[in-house]
Amino acid sequence: MMKQDTAKPFDVIIIGGGATGAGTARDCSRRGLRVLLVERFDISTGATGRNHGLLHSGARYAVTDQESAKECIKENMILRRIASHCVEETDGLFLTLPEDDIAYQAKFVEACSQAGIRAEIIDPKEALRLEPSANPSLVGAVRVPDGAVDPFRLTASNIMDAKEHGATILTYHEVTELLREQNRIVGVKVLDHRTKEVKSYYASVVVNAGGIWGHNIAKLAGITINMLPAKGALLIFGHRVNNIVLNRCRKPADADILVPGDTICLIGTTSSRVPFEEVDDMRVTPEEVDLLLREGEKLSPLLARTRILRAYAGVRPLVASDDDPSGRNVSRGIVLLDHAVRDGMEGFVTITGGKLMTYRLMAEWTTDLVCKKLNVSAKCDTAEEKLPGSRESGEEVGKKIISMPKTQRNATISRHGDLAEKLARNTTTLDNSLVCECEEVSVGEVKYALNELDVHNLVDLRRRTRVGMGTCQGELCACRAAGLMSSLHKYCTRRAKEDLASFLNERWKGMAPIAWGDTLRESEYMAWVYESVCGLTLSQKQE
Amino acid sequence: MKFDTIIIGGGLAGLTCGISLQRHGQRCCIVSSGQSALHFSSGSFDLLNCLPDGKEVENPVEAVERLKLQAPEHPYVKLGKEKFEELAGSVVEFFSQAGVSVTGSACKNHFRITPMGTLKPTWLTLSEQVACEHGDRLPWKKVAIFNVTGFLDFYTQFIADEFHKLGTECVLREISFPALERLRKNPTEMRSVNIARVFDKRENVDELARVLKDGRGNCEAIAMPAIAGLARTDVLECLEREVGTRIALLPTLPPSVPGIRAQQQLRRAFEQAGGVYMLGDSVLRADMEGDRITKVYSYNHGNIPFVARDVVLATGSFFSQGLVALPGKVYEPVLGLDVEFVENRKEWYDMNVFAAQRYETFGVKTDNEFHGLLNGAALSNVYVAGAVLEGFDAIKQGCGAGVSILSALFVAEQILRK
Repeated sequence: MMKQDTAKPFDVIIIGGGATGAGTARDCSRRGLRVLLVERFDISTGATGRNHGLLHSGARYAVTDQESAKECIKENMILRRIASHCVEETDGLFLTLPEDDIAYQAKFVEACSQAGIRAEIIDPKEALRLEPSANPSLVGAVRVPDGAVDPFRLTASNIMDAKEHGATILTYHEVTELLREQNRIVGVKVLDHRTKEVKSYYASVVVNAGGIWGHNIAKLAGITINMLPAKGALLIFGHRVNNIVLNRCRKPADADILVPGDTICLIGTTSSRVPFEEVDDMRVTPEEVDLLLREGEKLSPLLARTRILRAYAGVRPLVASDDDPSGRNVSRGIVLLDHAVRDGMEGFVTITGGKLMTYRLMAEWTTDLVCKKLNVSAKCDTAEEKLPGSRESGEEVGKKIISMPKTQRNATISRHGDLAEKLARNTTTLDNSLVCECEEVSVGEVKYALNELDVHNLVDLRRRTRVGMGTCQGELCACRAAGLMSSLHKYCTRRAKEDLASFLNERWKGMAPIAWGDTLRESEYMAWVYESVCGLTLSQKQE
Repeated sequence: MKFDTIIIGGGLAGLTCGISLQRHGQRCCIVSSGQSALHFSSGSFDLLNCLPDGKEVENPVEAVERLKLQAPEHPYVKLGKEKFEELAGSVVEFFSQAGVSVTGSACKNHFRITPMGTLKPTWLTLSEQVACEHGDRLPWKKVAIFNVTGFLDFYTQFIADEFHKLGTECVLREISFPALERLRKNPTEMRSVNIARVFDKRENVDELARVLKDGRGNCEAIAMPAIAGLARTDVLECLEREVGTRIALLPTLPPSVPGIRAQQQLRRAFEQAGGVYMLGDSVLRADMEGDRITKVYSYNHGNIPFVARDVVLATGSFFSQGLVALPGKVYEPVLGLDVEFVENRKEWYDMNVFAAQRYETFGVKTDNEFHGLLNGAALSNVYVAGAVLEGFDAIKQGCGAGVSILSALFVAEQILRK
């Protein structure tokens, strides 16, 4: 444990590697600021990676929250343009089922049009023709511009752009202290989880973009933000049952959105308050699973016969209004706190609340505030400038990497957009071998992720490439990837085995709540292969 | 279709039972839906590595008594110590007659090498693989580890590091020649079974021998992945003769070439003894009369029944779909036999994937003669063998193969005694 003071000067330090932190790093660096982003684990490990991946049209909020609805539709249109390789333009349907009040539909359409969201009532038969998996007993349907967005890709792409503009990104660096001089925050002290070193970094402004964990980060400055952790559980199914997002046309409630994404689809969410002590280890209960299935089947009865891959939960960072300590008056909108104004603490800003859809807008507001503090006049261009990966169409990229086998080519382009070209450069036939057959991830793609995308372990790798996200949940690909990582000297074989053991445990965490039927078969097989055949054990971690 | 015995399931238990019955003059039919656990095997068979309380077992025959208290429904407890010892002692000879050559003893576990390079206790090991006497050292001082370039299911570096810890020096070598390069054209082809097909051709074996000979240096042994000899059984022999060095085949990640070959060999032995093996068919239902099954119907044969005096259920565990789990229930899907399980699914699992999982002990209930129970009563002509049985944790106790083989042999005895 050595203490090391780092001389490199920064204008702004951003705490948190979720979509908001990454977006803020991008915006700040594009406006010429010297940026450091610190994240205690990997990017997208919090709420960013634990939601629906829904590109909200805003329709869901139209009736209850016009402001959020307007923000959503505006950002929706921006993301389609700047992050096309992370977005799938699926459209969405709001279904009225026999048990729902059909009168709500008119109110809903009216509210959508007020918010500027295209909402078109279509004939139930037409809705079924468009989306055959929808509940055939539906009595009404409205079509809206919903879509699917891959939050891992989106965040990684923001990080990449920030790096291209000079930002420094440190993952696995946890803030342990906010450095303070009188009434000013001047930097952070971080623990590097990989080397166990403690380091200090200084900047003129520190941005707290820690999501629900921002609560504790603010506490380090002696500041209280009244946050309320709200758990949302979701289920991932092994097939893409629907191609259009399915919603219930009623007041927002539990388990009423089914979103397709890549090779799978997702139902969610539940909503329940949880204590702060639990936010680091969210587990989905059997009751939540039962509820999600019960409600999900109403959207698409096919779900009853579709294999569930895993269950997971995220924590929304809800913020109670400052004048209401009881926490009843909760805003789901964006909360930007200038602690100089609010608490008399200079050089410290918290950005929280909001949602994945508005990450860019949150970043813009935050960067505007940071720039104001630094007297920088540069304007935001993140709504116009495309993200890395989205600068060329998939077709164009496909032509450039024509030598790659077709299915692999398509999978790679869908994951990396125009960066697929960079990935394919200098690859040999050896690199075409598949590591993960479920998701068509090649040796070359794994190498690219290891070399270019800040990957330190198998879970990081999964977030960049989808290794282990498919039907088998990492049965064989995890071991292959660990082997590759160790052969590329990413880590030693002892660490590789430890990493493999913890990857398998992480996968099991999501499988156990739904381990019956084929998932239990798969689990038994996994235990058989890794524990019986390979002799991997718990003690692997302790050795 | 009339048989003496219908065996449902063509894995290790079904084949062992079938071979035993055929050898004693019965006419049996095995109905198999396809792959079995042997396809994912390590190339060794475990008898009993660990007691439920976590205590490691050196001598399974001695340890089996202790199961009585710790796992009263364990199949070995139903056999009793004497029967266990008698049957376990007969297996090396039984397999050898079936053309599967194994080494090992029920009175002393030996050690096999895992695909990770570690040593793990076991009972019987296929002769072309390595059976180490001790758990803390290898039989070589210096070994050359070969792998096919780009074969991702075998990790030379993992193995070398573990070998090093055990005091054995390693050199790493790659195998690459044109016949293997052709496989690489398709990104999914570089897998154990496909490579093994390359080595079913004589000229490729000769080429491999040259590569091994050139690369072995002054090593006293060569280790390579078990990716040779799927159709041909003499590959290792040829290689050792050509190279002049002891060659050890190490297990790979699945599919397991040695396991598939053992399965094929057992099937051949069963058929050579006159048995009928129906591959790709599954039993759907059965007709009952009193406490007996009179007819069995399969998918492929529709309304044409299988008629037999006795029926053996050897359909395997969850993975093989001998057991099926629903959110609050586990059932046996073929005959609907009674299954031991707990309803609350929270109790099925431990959240640590490497801890004992209770669901592993669920299975079909039987009496002490392994008659399957239906609504609490034993069916007089239905026997249950192998992984579908209740009362044991094949993974934690390291007893999966042993339970399959011994319960199958015991069931065969019961049927023949009638």
